[in-house]
Amino acid sequence: MIRFQSAGFVLCALFLASCAEDSPKRVSDDVREPLDIELPAPVLRRLNQAQYGRAVHDLLGEDVVLPTSLEPDERIDGLRAIGSAVTTISPRGVEQYEQAAFDLAAQALDTKGERKRFLPCLQDNDFPDPCIEGFFRDFGPRVWRRPLTDLEVDRMTGISIRAGGLLGDAYEGLEFGLAAMLQSPNFLFRVELGEPDPDAPGEYRFTDYEMATRLSFLLWDTIPDAELLQAASRGDLTDAEGLEEQVDRMLSDDRVEDGLRAYFTDMFSLYSLDELNKDPTVFTHMSPEVGPAAREETLLGILHLVQDQDGDFRDLLTTRTTFLDRRLSSIYGVPAPIWDGFGMTEWPKDHGRRGFLGQVSFLAGHSHAVASSPTLRGKFIREVLLCHMIPAPPADVDTSIPEPVEGRVTMRDRVAKHLEDDYCAGCHSITDPIGLGLENFDGLGHWRDREYGTTIDPSGELDGAPFDDAWDLAARMREHPDLPECLTKTVLSYASGRTLSDGEWDAVRYHAEGLEAEGHSFLALLRDVALSPAFRNTGGQP
Amino acid sequence: MKLSRRHLLKGVLQGTAVSLALPPLEIFFDISGKAYACGAGLPQRFGLFYWGNGNLPEYWNPDGEGAGDEWALSEQLSPLASVKDLITVVSGMSQKTGNLIPHASGVAGMLSGAALQVYEDGRQDGTFAGPSIDQTIALEIGGETIYRSIETGVLPGTSGNSYNGPNNKNPPELDPYAMYERIFGPTFREPGEEGIVDPRLGLRRSVLDGVMADITKLEAQVSSTDKARLDQHFTGIRELEQRLARLEEDPPNLEACMRPDAPEAEYPEIEGRPQISAVHRAMSDLVIMAVACDQTRVFSHWFSDQLTNKLFPEVSAGHHSLTHDEPGEQPQVNQIVQFVMGELCYMVEQMALIEEGDGTLLDNMVMLCTSEISHGMTHSIDDMPIILAGNACGRIQQGIHYRSHTGENVNTVMLSLIRALGINAPGYGLEEGEVSNGLSAIEV
Repeated sequence: MIRFQSAGFVLCALFLASCAEDSPKRVSDDVREPLDIELPAPVLRRLNQAQYGRAVHDLLGEDVVLPTSLEPDERIDGLRAIGSAVTTISPRGVEQYEQAAFDLAAQALDTKGERKRFLPCLQDNDFPDPCIEGFFRDFGPRVWRRPLTDLEVDRMTGISIRAGGLLGDAYEGLEFGLAAMLQSPNFLFRVELGEPDPDAPGEYRFTDYEMATRLSFLLWDTIPDAELLQAASRGDLTDAEGLEEQVDRMLSDDRVEDGLRAYFTDMFSLYSLDELNKDPTVFTHMSPEVGPAAREETLLGILHLVQDQDGDFRDLLTTRTTFLDRRLSSIYGVPAPIWDGFGMTEWPKDHGRRGFLGQVSFLAGHSHAVASSPTLRGKFIREVLLCHMIPAPPADVDTSIPEPVEGRVTMRDRVAKHLEDDYCAGCHSITDPIGLGLENFDGLGHWRDREYGTTIDPSGELDGAPFDDAWDLAARMREHPDLPECLTKTVLSYASGRTLSDGEWDAVRYHAEGLEAEGHSFLALLRDVALSPAFRNTGGQP
Repeated sequence: MKLSRRHLLKGVLQGTAVSLALPPLEIFFDISGKAYACGAGLPQRFGLFYWGNGNLPEYWNPDGEGAGDEWALSEQLSPLASVKDLITVVSGMSQKTGNLIPHASGVAGMLSGAALQVYEDGRQDGTFAGPSIDQTIALEIGGETIYRSIETGVLPGTSGNSYNGPNNKNPPELDPYAMYERIFGPTFREPGEEGIVDPRLGLRRSVLDGVMADITKLEAQVSSTDKARLDQHFTGIRELEQRLARLEEDPPNLEACMRPDAPEAEYPEIEGRPQISAVHRAMSDLVIMAVACDQTRVFSHWFSDQLTNKLFPEVSAGHHSLTHDEPGEQPQVNQIVQFVMGELCYMVEQMALIEEGDGTLLDNMVMLCTSEISHGMTHSIDDMPIILAGNACGRIQQGIHYRSHTGENVNTVMLSLIRALGINAPGYGLEEGEVSNGLSAIEV
């Protein structure tokens, strides 16, 4: 058997052992400095589709047309960031990357203007070898995110000259060298191997150039810019002060928007909204544009809170501010704030909606095609917001929800058997009572007071404590002690590309405390993580 | 020596201790024979037709058992009437590899012969422990063609389940035009034409040599798990390099081969519904011609995934949702299954129209048609839906219904198919799934 990093958190293990356990408790109250934690070996991460596209645009210009089909991304243990470190490149993917590499190289080099940008030393079609060699020596490090060895430069130069000679066109020849770089594992994978730490015998740290890549993907979701690579060449990124300077520069750069979008898209699986599927006869507001629009609403809200305001991230659950286009406004039944695109607006004071748990992206994304789902909504809140583990449903039971009949019309009544039957209740009692609090929102997120004429009871229960309705749930979720820890854990998994090891629990606790001390600022958490030993150091290769 | 996946498999299969700390790909079967050809020098081929979310066993299983008039097609199989004599229906078979995670366990058990490899912390995802049946076979009979195997799909969002090994899927092509460009684009040569003469092919191979050197260098520096991942990448590069070399050779000379017409450039959704039938038929035509032109000898065609929710014609919700939400006899689910069978019928009919040697393409291949579960509502892995099309050069029965009354292991069917293709395998499957005998009722 392949052994995967175990999730490790004892609370999860307990939870898994039996769904009927009481609400999870913290394992220990002593917070250690996470300096002495034992870190696993580094992992090799493949650039995901978005990262590949952004890297290519950074390298070759915004005008190049990206390939439409590449190796797909896969979500493992809740994150595509982890999937990218587990999956590999299929034979079909190899074919696609090769084709993409030549297409992109040709786009970059086949027009005169573009050629000049890359090869200022070239004149017409007659250029000296040192010019080609210089190209790979200068441009190569941006592609592979580290300096090339002499051997590597020679190889790229050699194939370019040979191809140029055979084809009678030096520029076309150069396409072969560039295409070789773009399909190399040194481009397609993030090669972060670590090196012995000169200050701590027996320990390993990431090298300067590896740190540049780690920082740029964490904070900007793309390859390092020239300045970051320069900092790496000076040795700044293995130096606490130099690192801090770069992290602060990066966090105040606009590109942090790309990093935030990538992180929350992954954490909340917002990419799946592309496939949002609803029965159009039940949900007349449904159209293929609803899913992507709902994702944008959520991301704009997050960017506003995190990037513009540097606010308390927990406000994401209770804020009255949101960003709507006309389509979403009609689903929510409020006036559109703006004619074109998305505009900021506030829910009226008496509106039943607050924060992320009142958004279509969450409400519709975790419902059935024909109806709401207290189970799926509760499961998302448990797993994604609180990092509690819910086992898969057993495979051999009838999971259909009874149809509404006289005297049993509301979803609450229909799923009641989940909680009445002991066998089902083990797990459903930790999901359904939360999701039932959101029953005023139908399967698309539209507000409703009644279901088939019966007034909806929007009360529910969170960890044994009853709450009144969706507002009350949002307020309680905002204060949930596991919320900051779960966010911290997810950020650390995302930053490291793997399921955390047992030993890293201390790091989670440590950073969660830091998060609280910084007024729950998400940017402060990112900064803290980027500067942390867990991010800078690694276990050695086994 | 570079340890390829093929070497690795063989090494494990032959019981050699693999000292490299690669994640062990388990023993699927021992291989000592070589695939033998059908008559007239025609190759053996294998196809897989998969749809997600199973069937309604009550409306699926045929009445009567045996051959010819001894059995009749059921309601869900009725769309296959025109090809009844060309197919064999096997019912009543069970997966023995466990049903821990709905759908996912069934996919792995049915297609890899082994239990789903679940992650230890109880996450709801898992992966295959070894290659899927199409790749197990492709490793044996796929080595001589331009493509070792091809993977295609129909419903938007389908990601298929063709696995080379753990966490290494072969994603299907869903766009008929892209499929056409790939197989029958500028590099395709019809029988009688000469291979491509272009210095770029050799240069691209040189580039790939360099990429392989990059991988090899990196492999020496990473963990054993990552080494295995890079090894898969390496295998893909080497296969591409071989493919480029083959383009310089004269193309295979099969009489039935001709360049097909290009499909539509796009198949946009109409009123929120994908054009499933049009896409399926365009893709089928391309797959069939790719086989007839000996571009590949193994294909897998993923009609839909488990959990697919894209709308089928005329129904009110996604297939997976309906299997759980539709009340009563589930007429809409029934309608979807029949729709899929109608599309399968088209594919079988087309295969039977291609003349090869003394028979047809369908005579020189076998296609396994199945799903991951039987009854969608309960995720049952008993009484699995299985249809076989073709006879593998006279080695597999056609026109019969075999029903197992004892819930025999589905892997016996797989082993029969593997052996029918000329692969000498003493057994198939792992642990509870392992079998050493085929299902004699379907063998000739």
